[in-house]
Amino acid sequence: MDVLLGITGKDFVIVAASKAAMRGPTVLKADDDKTRQLNKSTIMAFTGEAGDTVQFAEYIQANIQLYTMRNDTELGPAAVANFVRGELARSLRSRNPYTVNLLLGGMDPISNKPSLYWVDYLASLAQVPYAAHGYAQYYCLSTLDKHHHPDISLEQGLKILEMCTDELKRRLPIDFKGVLVKVVTKDGVEILDYDNDKIVKSA
Amino acid sequence: MVGKDCVAIACDLRLGMQALTVSNNFPKIFNYAPSTYLGLTGLATDVATVSDLLRYKVNMYRLREERNIAPQTLANLVSSTLYEKRFGPFFVSPVLGGINQTTGKPFICGFDSIGCIDFAKDFIVSGTASEQLFGTCEGLWEPDLSPEDLFETISQALLSAVDRDALSGWGAQVYIIEKDKVTQRLLKGRQD
Amino acid sequence: MDKLVAQYSRPRHQDEFYSEQEQRDLTESHPSISLKFDLPPLENPSAFLRAMTDDHSNPSCPIKLAHGTTTLAFRFQGGIIVATDSRATAGNWIASQTVKKVIPVSRLSRGEDTQTDAPVPGLLGTMAGGAADCQYWLRYLSQQCTLHEIRHKRRITVAAASKILANLTYAYKNMGLSMGTMLAGMTPQEGPALYYIDSDGTRLPGNLFCVGSGQTFAYGVLDAQYRYDLTEEEALELGRRSILAAMHRDAYSGGFINLYHVKEEGWVHHGFSDMNPIFWKTKLEKGEFSNVTSEL
Repeated sequence: MDVLLGITGKDFVIVAASKAAMRGPTVLKADDDKTRQLNKSTIMAFTGEAGDTVQFAEYIQANIQLYTMRNDTELGPAAVANFVRGELARSLRSRNPYTVNLLLGGMDPISNKPSLYWVDYLASLAQVPYAAHGYAQYYCLSTLDKHHHPDISLEQGLKILEMCTDELKRRLPIDFKGVLVKVVTKDGVEILDYDNDKIVKSA
Repeated sequence: MVGKDCVAIACDLRLGMQALTVSNNFPKIFNYAPSTYLGLTGLATDVATVSDLLRYKVNMYRLREERNIAPQTLANLVSSTLYEKRFGPFFVSPVLGGINQTTGKPFICGFDSIGCIDFAKDFIVSGTASEQLFGTCEGLWEPDLSPEDLFETISQALLSAVDRDALSGWGAQVYIIEKDKVTQRLLKGRQD
Repeated sequence: MDKLVAQYSRPRHQDEFYSEQEQRDLTESHPSISLKFDLPPLENPSAFLRAMTDDHSNPSCPIKLAHGTTTLAFRFQGGIIVATDSRATAGNWIASQTVKKVIPVSRLSRGEDTQTDAPVPGLLGTMAGGAADCQYWLRYLSQQCTLHEIRHKRRITVAAASKILANLTYAYKNMGLSMGTMLAGMTPQEGPALYYIDSDGTRLPGNLFCVGSGQTFAYGVLDAQYRYDLTEEEALELGRRSILAAMHRDAYSGGFINLYHVKEEGWVHHGFSDMNPIFWKTKLEKGEFSNVTSEL
């Protein structure tokens, strides 16, 4: 029941992840951060098997940083995405594969173009203008299909995000405790203030 | 699909998980030499893994041999690569189409997931809509089609087939390969 | 003379009425429903049927029923909008793209298309799940509604009609019936009324329902812009757009958009239109569906 959402716009990528960390019937934590910053201009949001998620994310984070130190170059989002896919695909055919679903959001350091990659636990990779994971896919992709345009501003992007979270609050049977919203722009990654207390009435 | 001195290869553009369409822009045809193309259907992750692995192998071949790989050679390379995973296969069934630059003859073939090569003189199909494709191709294909007619034939065959398959469609890509010219076209298929 | 007077002093229309007993027979008897169907001659017929037909738990089941749908209906100030897709699938095979998933439940029109644009009195039922189940039981419901109308000399309420259907599905619970249906109608007693009934025996009145494999996608579009005070124009467009969204994202929904509007005078059909031209028009004119490539 974890929620991951990603939206690209004219000069930014919004990545939102639900704040509830759930184990069985319990909400262990209501302000969990399901994202890791990989380098100056890419972040990764993850859900999946408990334990696998953070281990995999931090493994990737460390290796991307190591690459940057060794070669003195920032990897662009496309390079990061293909590296992540490669690692996940390798693990898929190992004895103990990582079961993680990912969204990668980043700005290309050279062209300053935003990009978003959708990766599932089978290591399928797709570049998309907007994406979601888990049940959020079923509720939000249609909303995004209707309201998203490639050249939206950050304000418009957040408005669309609000439509998505409203819909999830309305229809998901389990409370996901709101979302943590991060935005990637050419200046780096930033946490945004996001109103999670809005009460949504059902029709 | 084979024509007169030309070959056509086409794929749909859907990436989905069961009923859910995740992406509508996921081409499954990859280029390995100026007139040699490989289409990969099956598990999306293996489509990416196999295409990347083959790109690496073909690049190494080109560096070693200082020439482009011929379709027949690529067919054997694909077959060996797939058989390397005999006991834990890649879940893909590739389709190869190209023109041999030395002989100028068209060449097509298909594979199963562990590398059995299926040579054909007319057409090769694979994927979730393969049953439908067999029907449409048997019905529409004829020998010695010109590049334009071949384009029309392969497009109609593919579109008609995917319109009867719930899991494929959402647009298509077609490559018409002639000896020294390749035309790529996008088909706006039904979006349901 | 007395005999003559007696003969003419009787209440005038006495003979034209049914007797008490006759009336009771007519109003209280129902055709029996429990013994009409042959069951497999086995210890546990329902489990056998489920095993044979449930392609979700057993993809290689021998009997494939038509499945996969998006249907929606919502109430607004001007009545009720009912919209559906038109695809029937058996596994991944698209069995039909031209299924009529809105079934009129009324005396005056039993499935035939009307030639005029005038509203047709009666209810509308939608079809999701087993196609045959829905068609048969809505036809049965239509018969019951007609009988009700003859017996009581007034049209059945949506509440009563939906209860007949819900009681029925409940009677056949766990026998392998598969239907998720919505009943929409407008009666003087109720105003616009919408009920959701499914094969578990659930019966819910409500403002807005989406049913079928594409329901979540339809909800996504519908919820975001739904208001009770929508104009007729807006409501029709929202219904159409919600079905389009589901057809696009859900592999098991597609084909034609079937759109109805239920008004006080009856229902009006607003077309059975191919989704593909509507899709490309929406994309190219409004810039929606930016995930779909239209150029190389």
